[in-house]
Amino acid sequence: MISLRRVSLVYPNGVRALDNVDLEIEKGAFVFLVGHSGTGKSSLLRVLYREMRPTGGEIMVDGIRVDRLRRSRVPALRRHLGVVFQDYKLLIDKTVWENVAFAMQVTGARTRDVRRQVPRALDLVGLSHKSRMYPGELSGGEQQRTAIARALVNNPKILLCDEPTGNLDPSNSTEIMELLLRINLKGTTVVVATHNQAVVDRMRRRVVRLEDGRIVTDEERGYYFLGLGQSKVLSG
Amino acid sequence: MDWGRVKFFLGEVARNFTRNAGMQATAIGTVTVTIILLGVFLFVRGMLMHVGAQVFEQIEISAYFVPNASPAQEESVRTALAQDPRVLSATFISKKEGLRELRARVRGQIDTTILTENPLPDKMRVRVRTPEEVAALAKRMERMSALANVQYGQDVLTKLLQLSNVLGRIGVGVIALFLLVASIIISNTIRLTVFARRREISIMQLVGATNAYIRLPFICEGFLDGLAGALVAVLLLAVAQAELFPKLAAALPFVRLNAGAVDPLVLTWELLSVGAAVGIVASWLSVGRYLRT
Repeated sequence: MISLRRVSLVYPNGVRALDNVDLEIEKGAFVFLVGHSGTGKSSLLRVLYREMRPTGGEIMVDGIRVDRLRRSRVPALRRHLGVVFQDYKLLIDKTVWENVAFAMQVTGARTRDVRRQVPRALDLVGLSHKSRMYPGELSGGEQQRTAIARALVNNPKILLCDEPTGNLDPSNSTEIMELLLRINLKGTTVVVATHNQAVVDRMRRRVVRLEDGRIVTDEERGYYFLGLGQSKVLSG
Repeated sequence: MDWGRVKFFLGEVARNFTRNAGMQATAIGTVTVTIILLGVFLFVRGMLMHVGAQVFEQIEISAYFVPNASPAQEESVRTALAQDPRVLSATFISKKEGLRELRARVRGQIDTTILTENPLPDKMRVRVRTPEEVAALAKRMERMSALANVQYGQDVLTKLLQLSNVLGRIGVGVIALFLLVASIIISNTIRLTVFARRREISIMQLVGATNAYIRLPFICEGFLDGLAGALVAVLLLAVAQAELFPKLAAALPFVRLNAGAVDPLVLTWELLSVGAAVGIVASWLSVGRYLRT
């Protein structure tokens, strides 16, 4: 589903954000990207949804050669992906319903489909009863669930989450993670960049650890800190 | 037709349009001023061209006979002119007819009853096939001994054409300048809207909206700015024409002004198109620059 070969990314200011990254993520997988701030987690996600173009290497996402993708084809890629951020990126002057519908409306969806799929997405994240509220009237967890509903409303095969629990307290974080797990169980590939140790340790999922733009470990059922689970340490 | 989609789109355009009301008014006002200038320019040019064409049509050589010319001399001049291939028509006008024409032309403006005797000599009025031959023919007529005082309006025509040429160049310059100013102001207005909506734009890009789709509401906004400005301008011009034109015509009795020389429908259409085009181009450029970065 996602495949990176010798991917590197050097920012214009000379910072090497990704350094020869090789990574395979199977369809339906649930993967944590962990590491300190500035180790390349967000950069890795950014090259996947083509916010950044890698300086070198090959990237395949759902059959699309992302590294060679022309600018005009980027919207098509984005429709295969859902992306969720730490700061939710909701529109404060639109209701929950409108925020979710927005993702369909601006990609030219038919009204009939919008009316069918928005309630479904809201139901999945458990916000049907708050669809007429504005983001300012919601808790952080609810705002993040709105953002997740928006990311999912177009039925993407892949959900990319950049620090989704970064602004949330532990109980809200747990809720969001359980939601992501449910989404994963329905067949969506989920990639979560995080440094929320508690969440990672409880879930016992695949953990890819980055350091200075390189993948240093990749554990099948990992913990946040290295060496607590079975690991296959990569030569890095 | 998917009305939900149309409603959503129009809602987005309306939100854009009302977000910076002050800036929007500035943009519309600038377009209005520009379009008014353009309208006046086109109107005046149309009339000048009309007057020019009339003068051209009316070019004729008139030559008075010397006071003591005999009927035989007059007859030989008429035959010579009638046989000249450059001549379209050569009319003999007796002094009586001449006076009647003069009276008719100045009726109501000059009191002709004060004339106690006819001061006019007999004259020939010659029309020429092409304006270029006027000068040559006039020279030939000057050499005829029975004729004196050969006149033709060539110098007037040249001056008129020169004047309209100079006016035209100044007008084009001023209008180009104003179109530029209007474009810059519209494009600034749109940039403000783009800035106010950068969050929405980034989300649109994130969920896979195409650049064309993102651009469309802004193009519509620019289009509306341009069109609204042009509409106001056309209305003001229509009022001005209805109010001022009769007064102008009354003040200049010798100039045959003709409002019908400029088709108001065509002019309106032209002005609205220019306004709308300026709006579209300006907004296209400013959003385009944003989306590329």
